[in-house]
Amino acid sequence: MDILNLKPLLLKGSPEFWPRLTAMTGQARDFEELFLLSSWRKKALARNLTPPGSIAAPIKLAILGGYSLYPLHELLEHLCSVQGTPIEVWLGDYDNYVSEIMDEAGELYSFAPKVVLLLPAEGRCKYSGQLTDTRAAQQAEATQTAKSVLELARKVNAQTGAEVILGNFMLPSRHDLGAYRSRALGSDWTFRKWVNLELGLNAPPCVRICDLEFLAARIGGAQAADPRGWFETKQPGSPALLVELAREAAHLIASLKRAPKKVLVLDLDNTLWGGVVADDGLEGIELGDTSPRGEAFKAFQKYIVSLKQRGVLLAVCSKNDFAKAAEPFEKHPEMILRMADLVSFKANWEPKSENIRRMAAELNLGLDSFVFVDDNPAEIDIVRQFAPEVTTLLLGPDPSEYATQLQDCRLFEPSGITAEDEDRTSQYRAEAERKALQGSVTDMDSYLNSLAMEATISEFTIVDAPRLSQLINKSNQFNLTTRRRSEAEVLAVMNDPVFVGYSMRLKDRFGDHGLISIVIGQKVDGAMKIDTWLMSCRVLKRQVEEEVLNELARLARARGCQRLEGVYLPTAKNEMVRDFYGRMGFELTSESETKREFELPLGTFQPLATKIKITQRAYDPS
Amino acid sequence: MTQAEIIAKLQTIFDTVFLEPVVLTPAISAKDVPEWDSLTHISLMVAVEKAFGVRFRVGEVETTKNVGEFADLILKRQQER
Repeated sequence: MDILNLKPLLLKGSPEFWPRLTAMTGQARDFEELFLLSSWRKKALARNLTPPGSIAAPIKLAILGGYSLYPLHELLEHLCSVQGTPIEVWLGDYDNYVSEIMDEAGELYSFAPKVVLLLPAEGRCKYSGQLTDTRAAQQAEATQTAKSVLELARKVNAQTGAEVILGNFMLPSRHDLGAYRSRALGSDWTFRKWVNLELGLNAPPCVRICDLEFLAARIGGAQAADPRGWFETKQPGSPALLVELAREAAHLIASLKRAPKKVLVLDLDNTLWGGVVADDGLEGIELGDTSPRGEAFKAFQKYIVSLKQRGVLLAVCSKNDFAKAAEPFEKHPEMILRMADLVSFKANWEPKSENIRRMAAELNLGLDSFVFVDDNPAEIDIVRQFAPEVTTLLLGPDPSEYATQLQDCRLFEPSGITAEDEDRTSQYRAEAERKALQGSVTDMDSYLNSLAMEATISEFTIVDAPRLSQLINKSNQFNLTTRRRSEAEVLAVMNDPVFVGYSMRLKDRFGDHGLISIVIGQKVDGAMKIDTWLMSCRVLKRQVEEEVLNELARLARARGCQRLEGVYLPTAKNEMVRDFYGRMGFELTSESETKREFELPLGTFQPLATKIKITQRAYDPS
Repeated sequence: MTQAEIIAKLQTIFDTVFLEPVVLTPAISAKDVPEWDSLTHISLMVAVEKAFGVRFRVGEVETTKNVGEFADLILKRQQER
């Protein structure tokens, strides 16, 4: 859609003008484009071309601040009008906000705003002393600066009952001070950051932060700053920043009236994993750390689970055979989402609009609290047509952007403060604990203990074959023999009863490390010869080796072996495991330039004690 | 570019912005065009800088009295590039 096509519609007085205007306003990113749309909207109204439907009563909005609020008000008025929350604006004078708020008999209060947008002056967010002053002095002033801004917000709220949308401060975008910038609280950079933190963390419930620091960072600090605009007309930032600021303020105004969404309904094939599970099979779908695409789908699932932790309900709606659709949730090792995470699982051949209606009835929730996500435009279209109250999100062509699409959709932002506050508190506590743990690495044993490590050990499986082959072929340092194997060769080991092959996955309280160690043993007479033993270096010093050895001893004994035989084949990269078998209690039996051979009798072997809890073992019938 | 060519290109930008057709001449100025108010002016300047790939220096647009002088300013800033 070209913006120029809109003008003839306006000149003709066509009713098509309004839906087009709305669509283009949603897409417009440039200041002049948005501005033009705004002026055409006003001209349409002046020509008595009226928008369809009823027009909501305008919200009284006062805009105050240390800037010229013109033409910002123009963009904001336009965006609010188009999103269905029209505003009636009262504009404060340039940099007159303190007296406007203090003057109880003044114009601001006779206007009686329901919402106040307050953009305090950047020039007043500056440390007054020297960079070399004590941190205590600098911090006291930052705290005081934030406090006085919050007092203004409280005052205007107490006088009017208005919600306050409070702008914080953009950070400087120039190199000035260099490496010293972040070393002194008195620098503009650090001082403003500190003030912004205090504003956000101490704001009363009537305040929403309009995060200019974030908005400027998003488009780039240097793109957001505009000294010429400041000198000429006292603008808060560049035209690009004005657009972001107006969009954010419009969003916050709308969210005062609109509840966040409650349910996220997800498609399966090519949404939660790559490929079609009914065609490609459990082992054919792309999911997990084997490929970049698989990793992207896994990351998307991780973000979805984080939404659940924030209180969003998750559901699945897929055109699929139920059993096949459910299989990955039950059996795929790399799935993050599990059945227990879902409040509803619809996999059938009914239209998705019908399925979502049924979910709404079952959960006793309005359709308007549902968001439906799919990669297929046809499915999105059906839901748009037959369940128009549902908000839909069409995923783009690249799974690496799925998570970011959802992160930018702005449908699941917490509105209140109290409940979220508590969550945040516990998050901060966890973070503090983690930091404290890192600080006390001197006591290795209690550190390992506190990690609450859990491992699962599994014999080789078809589903794991790609990951096994990948790790076998890329692992260099902690790799005793560096024998490479293709996926087919891994499968051959799996199907040959002479071999044992197993892998270990490890997780701890801070996250899942995935598949991190692989062993292949070959039974030859009374010995279990260790063909392959490798481990990901990410989990060095975690006692993984000990547990892997315990498992190997267990499996070897169960197969009637009396000893383990290990060999170290030196390469340019595996020096770190030259003495590995020795450290694990093996005896050196022969040594040459090209190999070192070891042996461990199993008769007297006692399993090594570790801090890892093993929740599943290989070849375990249960 | 010549002044006339600059004005011709400006004409296309003005045609986009204004509903009532305005024929630009070197002598015309904002006060002659009812739709050319101070808000529209800000947007016009952003569009002109983008279209011509120039950046005006602080305060200098204000000093131009009409479209002819404005076109000369664009020309001058273009030649510096």
